[in-house]
Amino acid sequence: MAASRRNTSQRLTLVILLLASITVITVAYKGEARRAVGSVRNGAADVLSPVQRGIAAALHPVGNLFAGVVDYGGALSENQRLQLEVGRLRRQLIESQQAQQQLDQLRAEQNLPFADGIPEVLAQVISSPSSNFELTIEIDRGTSDGVGVGMPVVSGIGLVGSVISAGRHTAVVQLLTDQGSAVGVRFGTGDVAVAQGQGGGSPLQLEDVSETSATHRGVPVVTSGLDVAAYPSGIPVGTVSSVRHPGGSLTSQVLVTPLVNLSVLQYVAVLQWLSPA
Amino acid sequence: MTIRMWGRLGLVAFAAVIVQVGLLDQIVVAGAHPDLFLLLAISAGVVGGPQRGAVIAFALGLVADVFVQTPYGLSSLCYVLVAFAMGMVVSTLPGRPTLGFQLVAAVLGGVGGTLLFAGLGTLIGQTDLSRHQLAIVAVVVAAGCAVLAPLSYRIFEWTVAVVPGTHRDAGAFAGGSAR
Repeated sequence: MAASRRNTSQRLTLVILLLASITVITVAYKGEARRAVGSVRNGAADVLSPVQRGIAAALHPVGNLFAGVVDYGGALSENQRLQLEVGRLRRQLIESQQAQQQLDQLRAEQNLPFADGIPEVLAQVISSPSSNFELTIEIDRGTSDGVGVGMPVVSGIGLVGSVISAGRHTAVVQLLTDQGSAVGVRFGTGDVAVAQGQGGGSPLQLEDVSETSATHRGVPVVTSGLDVAAYPSGIPVGTVSSVRHPGGSLTSQVLVTPLVNLSVLQYVAVLQWLSPA
Repeated sequence: MTIRMWGRLGLVAFAAVIVQVGLLDQIVVAGAHPDLFLLLAISAGVVGGPQRGAVIAFALGLVADVFVQTPYGLSSLCYVLVAFAMGMVVSTLPGRPTLGFQLVAAVLGGVGGTLLFAGLGTLIGQTDLSRHQLAIVAVVVAAGCAVLAPLSYRIFEWTVAVVPGTHRDAGAFAGGSAR
């Protein structure tokens, strides 16, 4: 009898807690409550940022050690690959100087706006996400430094993502490989598409690329900056790593490998640019 | 649960935030890191039983969700189910759960909790991971749970003031004794 009563009580508790959880999710999903949750999250991040900064600085070598121990074989092959890459890049440097001249001419002709002239805020990455289910980083600059939600974030060689949440002294950046990320891009001979994130370690997928597109492996991909795009034009995103033409489909499956290694970011720059939208 | 227990739980949650955000988030293996709050939810179920464990897990989930960008309340939903399931399993045992059982519970809870979170996230239209990445996350989280489980169980025995290795649900809400 007592056991039965206890079972009933346990189940009732479970049902109440599940309903409470679902209610919290529903209520906090949009409107005022969502903004309130965002404020609480930003406030908490601001409070914890000094702790994160201190511990992150102290533990970076430890974290690297862990990663190195787990991936020692990978590090060796990565080293060999990088040595080959250095040789290849030296050759490319000479070629790229010539290509740069051509690019300058094209830009001048098409009158494309530059990302270069946009003011930027340099920031240090102080934390990776606390959840394994999001591809974000936290940076040590916030609204008090001129960082706002929606601003693009770049590293020295290309696009990193955009700011999705900003507190006074910290901000959260959604990486372009996050499945919630979509970037309008231009590539090849003026083709445009949307580069959709597919999760950590996976390349970006270009959507709605016509089967007749002449793109091929190695083609550089940059932000399009069209109309109400979330990014200014001309920021390097990556290079085409795979092109497939599924039978019976009118579109090609194009994958793009990001230029920036998003797993080892230490410093980034926030472009103080907001979409016209 | 008594006010003293809630106070202890607050201390544990605060310490967990510091450890997770300051330490564990930096230990990234193949793109994933240990999840201390999931382990605490597992421990709450194993040590506190299904009812008390679920209540504690709900509260822990609300705290954990402040520090992530996933929908607020999603962790609570996941943790409640994990803690309740763990508590139910332990409540069927004839005696005290052995250390071996506790470790297995931590590992299975880590894998199950990760998959459950991914499934719930997909259900409500959140971004989901590729199968490959999800497998990596589950393995890393489970490994983290196994390593930290002995400490986590001891902390929860102190938090809910139970005799080590036992659990009771009586008086989960009424401020009753934990034994």
